[in-house]
Amino acid sequence: MALYTINVNGKNHQVDVDSDTPVLWVLRDNLRLLGTKYGCGIAHCGVCTIHMDGEAIRSCAYPISSVENKKIVTIEGLSENGDHPVQKAWIEHDVPQCGYCQAGQIMSAASLLAQNPNPSDEEIRRAMNGNLCRCATYTRINKAIKTASKEM
Amino acid sequence: MLMDFRTTSLKFRKHSVIFLFSAALFSAFVLACKAKTGSNGEYTSLPEAKKQDSLASIAAFKDVYSVLMHPRCMNCHPIGDIPLQGDDSHLHNMLPQRGPDGKGIASMKCANCHAPKGVPGDHTPPGNPKWHLPPADMKMVFQGKSARELALQLVNPELNGHKDMQALREHAEDTLVKSGWNMGGDRELPPLSYEEFKKVWYTWIDNGAYAPSN
Amino acid sequence: MTKIKTHLNRRSFLKLSAAGGAGLMLQFSWFSSLASENPTIEEAFDLNGYIKIATDGTVTIASPNPEVGQNVKTSMPMIVAEELDVDWKNVKVVQAPLNTAIFTRQLAGGSRSINESWNALRMAGATARHMLVQAAAKSWGVPASEIKVNAGTLTHNANGKTATFGEMASAASNIEVPKEVDVKDIKDFKIIRKSHLNVDGPSITTGKPVFGLDVYGENMVYASIVHPPAFGMKLESYDASEALSMKGVDSVFTIDVYPDDYERNRFDISAFPQLIVITGDSTWRIMKAKKTIKANWVPFSAYTVKMEGNSNGEKVPSGTENTEAHYTEMIKKSKENAKQVRKDGNPEKAFSEAAKVIERSYTAPYLAHSPLEPLNFYANVTADKAELIGPIQTPEFMEKSVAKRLGMNLDQIDIQMTRIGGGFGRKLFGHYLVEAALISQKLKKPVKLIYTREDDMTFGAYRPTYQATFRAALDKDNNMVAFHVKTGGIPESPLFANRFPAGAVPNYLAESWTIDSNITTAAFRAPRSNFMGAVEQAFLDEVAELAGKDPIDFRLELFDNAIKKPVGNKNDYEAKRYAGVLKLIKEKSNWGTSKNGLSRGVAAYFCHDSYVANVVDLKMVDGKPIIEKVHCAVDCGIVVNPVAAANMVEGGSVDGIGHALYSMLSLKGGVPQQRNYNDYHLIRNNDAPHDVEVHFVESDVHPTGLGEPPFAPAIGALANALYKETGKRYYHQPFMMDIESKYLQSEANV
Repeated sequence: MALYTINVNGKNHQVDVDSDTPVLWVLRDNLRLLGTKYGCGIAHCGVCTIHMDGEAIRSCAYPISSVENKKIVTIEGLSENGDHPVQKAWIEHDVPQCGYCQAGQIMSAASLLAQNPNPSDEEIRRAMNGNLCRCATYTRINKAIKTASKEM
Repeated sequence: MLMDFRTTSLKFRKHSVIFLFSAALFSAFVLACKAKTGSNGEYTSLPEAKKQDSLASIAAFKDVYSVLMHPRCMNCHPIGDIPLQGDDSHLHNMLPQRGPDGKGIASMKCANCHAPKGVPGDHTPPGNPKWHLPPADMKMVFQGKSARELALQLVNPELNGHKDMQALREHAEDTLVKSGWNMGGDRELPPLSYEEFKKVWYTWIDNGAYAPSN
Repeated sequence: MTKIKTHLNRRSFLKLSAAGGAGLMLQFSWFSSLASENPTIEEAFDLNGYIKIATDGTVTIASPNPEVGQNVKTSMPMIVAEELDVDWKNVKVVQAPLNTAIFTRQLAGGSRSINESWNALRMAGATARHMLVQAAAKSWGVPASEIKVNAGTLTHNANGKTATFGEMASAASNIEVPKEVDVKDIKDFKIIRKSHLNVDGPSITTGKPVFGLDVYGENMVYASIVHPPAFGMKLESYDASEALSMKGVDSVFTIDVYPDDYERNRFDISAFPQLIVITGDSTWRIMKAKKTIKANWVPFSAYTVKMEGNSNGEKVPSGTENTEAHYTEMIKKSKENAKQVRKDGNPEKAFSEAAKVIERSYTAPYLAHSPLEPLNFYANVTADKAELIGPIQTPEFMEKSVAKRLGMNLDQIDIQMTRIGGGFGRKLFGHYLVEAALISQKLKKPVKLIYTREDDMTFGAYRPTYQATFRAALDKDNNMVAFHVKTGGIPESPLFANRFPAGAVPNYLAESWTIDSNITTAAFRAPRSNFMGAVEQAFLDEVAELAGKDPIDFRLELFDNAIKKPVGNKNDYEAKRYAGVLKLIKEKSNWGTSKNGLSRGVAAYFCHDSYVANVVDLKMVDGKPIIEKVHCAVDCGIVVNPVAAANMVEGGSVDGIGHALYSMLSLKGGVPQQRNYNDYHLIRNNDAPHDVEVHFVESDVHPTGLGEPPFAPAIGALANALYKETGKRYYHQPFMMDIESKYLQSEANV
């Protein structure tokens, strides 16, 4: 057990956890930032996707010891008022069904658009292939990304 | 002179089937090499190597090859632009792309799941600070290569990431190479231990980095 | 206007108020911490349990049913708001508490939420509207019939009086609840049939803690379970000394979730009635520590589970089972005598005299529901109260189960419904709720129980594995004169004997068989239909081909028979509506044309009282299907919320296609061979159809199911399109796996 300092959504937090604790559980159990979900624990479903220095990492696969001095952004910190172009497009297209995977989808989509503001359909499908949606809202997800890309 | 030799002798089969060795077969190859010593195109050697012992070198490469073609090594040296995964070397789930620098594309980068240090557990992504595929302009394909093809590729600076013999030797110390023995979970380990691998790697190179005959 | 009887009375309303406390309709201890869920309202008046109107005109509508992604949390309040006649922008929606005295069927399953609550929801809105009108009439001294209501405002034109709902709410709350009320004419709908965005959209897209997994209580402990690794095994002994020595681990013990003599209800399915429990101070630490528990598992002997309403109980055989043996047994069973369920005409004679006979067999594997939110529940059980919060599709049933198991009264149980992160049937079966409650009761502490993905996937309650053999007979004019379906599964048969083509062929035989197993199964999106719809539609495609007919025309001919001279009088479907979706899909997909080298397949199916037809357009690239488009035509009666309804059809189609192509849960020695998404394959974005186009039949008919009906026909259309593209018929799901060589060998297709 050790003290770690983790920068999340612009704020430093000190947490006292085992060094192999995945960032996912630090966010949820320690910081009570609950928008980041648990789905598989092996980086295969993408529901725990967050940004680390802008990259869409799987927080279940990153131990706390590997994110010190990094800037973490979670779904709660993606925008001040829920108005990131991706969030707005998600609402506009009424994407969610159960909604459980959508925070992860949004974080992946936001990272994609930050790096490629005008992705082709093919690029979207490939870039989003790490995020499962069990309700299978994929067509809406992809349409919403297209819409959001117009605002990027 | 060496370069000339290489440019004329390199012939890659694009989709060659993974070559399976048996000890008996291999001995036959070595004998065949011996019989044809000096005949270009059957095997190659490296003039700058300290020793020129084709038998010792080729024998060592047999073991090197068994490691390099093992899923722990080969999975990140695929024929295509998608890495392989698992002990059965299936296409990596989620189909991550190589990308120009070998580190993936946009929101599907290797490091998005492969942290500098992985989380313990079965099937969690192995960690490494440098996790990546060879870059698009130097793909260093292992998958489908015969022992000869792979040996020739490994010693060619134009195909091995611009490594001279010294750099190639030192590559055994690379953290990503080492991680093949340290991926955690229930993954099968390469057929040699890391120390054994290093020994045969050096033996192969120090005795002339000979390529076995096909 | 139509008059409907109300079932609300002052008594049930008072009960609700008492439960809620302080006259407030809803008193959610956990949800009240969520600002977006429960905005501060200065003073609000409860009209009938569904509706609360604040003095500022804000109308809070309680959505009664569990929200599992089917969007009832938006569509149910829309129906209430329609009849209340309020402006939707002034409506706030909250999740209702479990209260069977007020609400109708608080269950998410069977695609029946809207279907069964339609009248109750309209009644709730109309009742409140009536009370507001009566209050205005009384206060203004005018006849109620002269008061007009529009978008939350009451007006009396003659004397120029006007009042908002907010202004009249206090007075309305004192009006007697009417015995019957008028509801609107369908043509006057202003909210229903217009698209309204998901009320939880903003919460979901900003990561608000609305799911069961997000429930964290004060001073709670984290709990996880260890269950037998194989079906057919039970716990003998265990050694947890290493786990107990690990930091953060509090305790390890066993619980008897359902003791041997316990009488279960039908939602108490669990293959593993005894579990090892580990508790500790964080999720990660118990997840790590539980792997160190060394347990000795032993085979159990056959036993019988006591079941409510079933004096025979349910027999659980002993032994550890294998997928390979399952397939062999199913093929064997398919060739033995089976139970006749329906017979029309003289099928034996018709087959023997037929010009052409075709016979084909199909299989499908076990599937794990694997909703992305794993099984979890929060429980705080004290001596006099059990507070249970989490994702559950059957709160009414589990309330009874858990009360009985805890030895408490029903009114001591408080189940609170969170948003459910996917269920697909799995969260109908609430053993995990009972487990959380038992752990909390034992520890006398609040507990958060969480299953790992591996726990969730290997715990059972799978979609059963099925087999079906069909035969069809054509006469010399290529009319289908006989149809024979013989089908079964482990442990249930998927047969629907009275569905199409029953009623459309003069000679018909339906037979059924089952094989017992100790592998638990559970309703999975479109239970039984998810198999029968898919394979029957693939078979009919072959029959049409044999008859030399277009597959749509072939089906329309049969529906014509069923309309003009139906065979038998127990046919489940309306042939006219069935034909209607086929005609619509024919038109909308431009059937008969071909486009850029794409291959097309068509299918249609009826289940959950709705009709869906699909056309799938695809091509094969590098051995993988690229599905360019799925066309859907749907008749589900009145479409309450088109944007969400289309979403449901899109997702349902892709879900069906995905499972048929990729998913399979197999067993070896009773051990599930897939444990997580690395080897259990779900359809991903890159494999999904590039576009899904949905068309609804315009209808004034009572609304019917939507979550489940699109699943099966999409698979049928997929199989038929794959045949057009590859020349190969796909008989065994998942299509992307060679089941024949893996499990069926030479007996593949009889």
